[in-house]
Amino acid sequence: MTSTVTILIVDDEAAIRRLLHASLARASYRIVEAGSAREALAAVQIDKPEVVLLDLGLPDRDGLELIPVIKGAGPAVIVISARDATDQKVTALDLGADDYVAKPFDSEEVLARIRATLRHRLASETGIPVIRCGDVEIDLAARQVRKSGEEVHLTPKEYGLVAELAKSPGRVVTHSHLLRSIWGPGHESDVEYLRVAARGVRRKLEQDPAQPNLLRNEPGVGYRLMVSG
Amino acid sequence: MNDSGPYPGAMLSVAARQGRPRKGFLEEPPGRWPVPPPRVRRDQGTFAGYAVSLGLGAVVTVLGKAMFERGNITNIGLLYLIPVMLAATRYGMRTAVITSLACSLAYNFFFIPPLHTLTIQDPQNFITVLVLLGVAIVGSRLASRVRDQALLAQASAAQSSSLAGFARQLTGISAVDELSHLLCCEVSYLLECNTILVMADREQLTVRAAAPIAVRLEMLDEAAARWALDHDRPAGHGSDTLSAAEWLFYPVGSAGKTLAVFGLARSDARAAIRADQLPLLLSLLDQAGLALERIALEVEMSALDHVRERDRLRHALLSSVSHDLRTPLTTILGTLGAMHPTSAEQESQLAATRAAAERLHRFVANLLDMVRIEAGALDQKIEPVDLAEAVASAVHDLAPILHDRRVDTAIAHDLPFVLVDPQLFHHCLINLVENAAKYGGSDGAVIVRALREPTGLMLCVEDEGPGIPEEQQGRIFETFTRLEGSDRKGGTGLGLAIVKGFAEAMGLQVTATNRDDGQGASFRILFRSSQLRESPGE
Repeated sequence: MTSTVTILIVDDEAAIRRLLHASLARASYRIVEAGSAREALAAVQIDKPEVVLLDLGLPDRDGLELIPVIKGAGPAVIVISARDATDQKVTALDLGADDYVAKPFDSEEVLARIRATLRHRLASETGIPVIRCGDVEIDLAARQVRKSGEEVHLTPKEYGLVAELAKSPGRVVTHSHLLRSIWGPGHESDVEYLRVAARGVRRKLEQDPAQPNLLRNEPGVGYRLMVSG
Repeated sequence: MNDSGPYPGAMLSVAARQGRPRKGFLEEPPGRWPVPPPRVRRDQGTFAGYAVSLGLGAVVTVLGKAMFERGNITNIGLLYLIPVMLAATRYGMRTAVITSLACSLAYNFFFIPPLHTLTIQDPQNFITVLVLLGVAIVGSRLASRVRDQALLAQASAAQSSSLAGFARQLTGISAVDELSHLLCCEVSYLLECNTILVMADREQLTVRAAAPIAVRLEMLDEAAARWALDHDRPAGHGSDTLSAAEWLFYPVGSAGKTLAVFGLARSDARAAIRADQLPLLLSLLDQAGLALERIALEVEMSALDHVRERDRLRHALLSSVSHDLRTPLTTILGTLGAMHPTSAEQESQLAATRAAAERLHRFVANLLDMVRIEAGALDQKIEPVDLAEAVASAVHDLAPILHDRRVDTAIAHDLPFVLVDPQLFHHCLINLVENAAKYGGSDGAVIVRALREPTGLMLCVEDEGPGIPEEQQGRIFETFTRLEGSDRKGGTGLGLAIVKGFAEAMGLQVTATNRDDGQGASFRILFRSSQLRESPGE
């Protein structure tokens, strides 16, 4: 399946493009490169990539402006940026980016993000009702969470958090998105509700709540459900 | 004017403006009137009026006489209406009445039998006299009303034109002093009085302009000015408040905010302003008030623009430097990661290179953080953060540096949340844990504990190293401080300075000391109870 997946790398640095190209090619994706916003938009139209790896610091336009345009044309967007300001990440995600990776990045991390994004696109088409994360199973159809095969009782908000994250496994979901979809509009800034639910989920599902491998926190941005495979 | 105590600030502004010719400043548009124009007291009549009217009466008499001799024309008296009407419409009532009386006498003398006497036999001739008088009075009344209306229209046109002229000049002004000077000169010229503009500058009254420039205010005038400024109502000479003052002050401002007071006075102690001049003055002051507010807003806007531009540049610079430093690092780290060593020697070289690149990466991150602290460019978003979660994230992000060093955390799951900026706090934790790992002995564990304190909550990051000598505990957070004589190496001396910088920006207190329960350093962040939020139940 992966052989047909096209990935567009947008970065003005040839060295970064080469690096990404090498690691993505090993995973047998088809690669297209663009060095500017103009080239990127042309490539989106011509090559119809499934995923765009987008650097925000482009010479001709701010990468943030590109996100809605690219998303509008269909492909998923993973932002790869050296800007580490939290608000930039949140802005990128709010503009529709599917995920982000900070520079300097680990190639494995980039591949994992691409896989998560592709899985999500596939899942939203076919609707996979059961998500597996290590020994934890999240059954969205039955509204059930099982650990080592046994059902774990979660409060409605805890389940809401797990379910909402399970809809985008492996991808970061922003605080405001989680608060809006679980607690409803108007609660976008009540971060402490989210912290309480996250604490509960970790206590009940993690092997070691002090070193969470399931529910990962992205400081100031959101949460990520780490999935296996 | 009194010399008792020159007004503070007055001399300065006067000196600054000396030698500025008034006329040059007040360019007078052609055809402008002093408003309202002086009314001519026409009721008294003028010499020319009498001469013209009575002369015309004489001409009519001569003409009538010529016609009369050709035949007895009884209606000859009607001819006398001409001079009477002329006098009534052009020269006012008194001239008209005098003319009508003169004409009656002439008519009586020359045309009514018995001729050349002033006796009247026929009562019908009385009517002629009465009609002439009536025409004189009614005609002059009507004419004077029309004339008054014309004068009024002229006056209001002149007012509008001076207002328009003033408004036009105001639009080109962008300095308060220039505006003050224009207002004082304009009103002084239009109303023929002394004027002054006073503003409050940090509770101190300051004269911004005056015309003529040498005028001074006395104690009582100052009090009146202050009262007008504070109450947004007129005060001083001829008003309800402090009427013994020499000056009369009007507030100048807009939207209910008094920005200045405008004073008027006459050297001859008459009322500073006539009732009919008041609307003009108030309109002028209204316009000046609007202009003052506009100038204040312009000043505010330009200051804001300046700050915004500086912020924009700073952010642009930081993100460009960040990009320029991280891009090559990404290439290096990525390339190293993709290399496959073929021998044990290569493998160890690769590992060492990787470690060096990771250290460079951390150094760059710290350097950028330090620049942000020193530029004061920390954007904070305070929100409740779970300590356990924050520590776990920091440990996770440090994985490439920590390798297999043990990190023991002891954070109770029911602790309150701390109110911090998540990103800045994350960087604090990363630096503290990294510091503990680096200086905590070759294989000691890093211990992260949270303790409830009487005054709040304390987070300790501790190591199993040699600890910090007492005399250096205060200095350890300074930039580029490294412990002398220690085997600590590979540090940048920036990490702890960043911890302190970020923590202080969030209002947190950090201290460095040694562990109470064994050997090793202990770095502590203290959260006061106001920086905690008890976790709500679901």
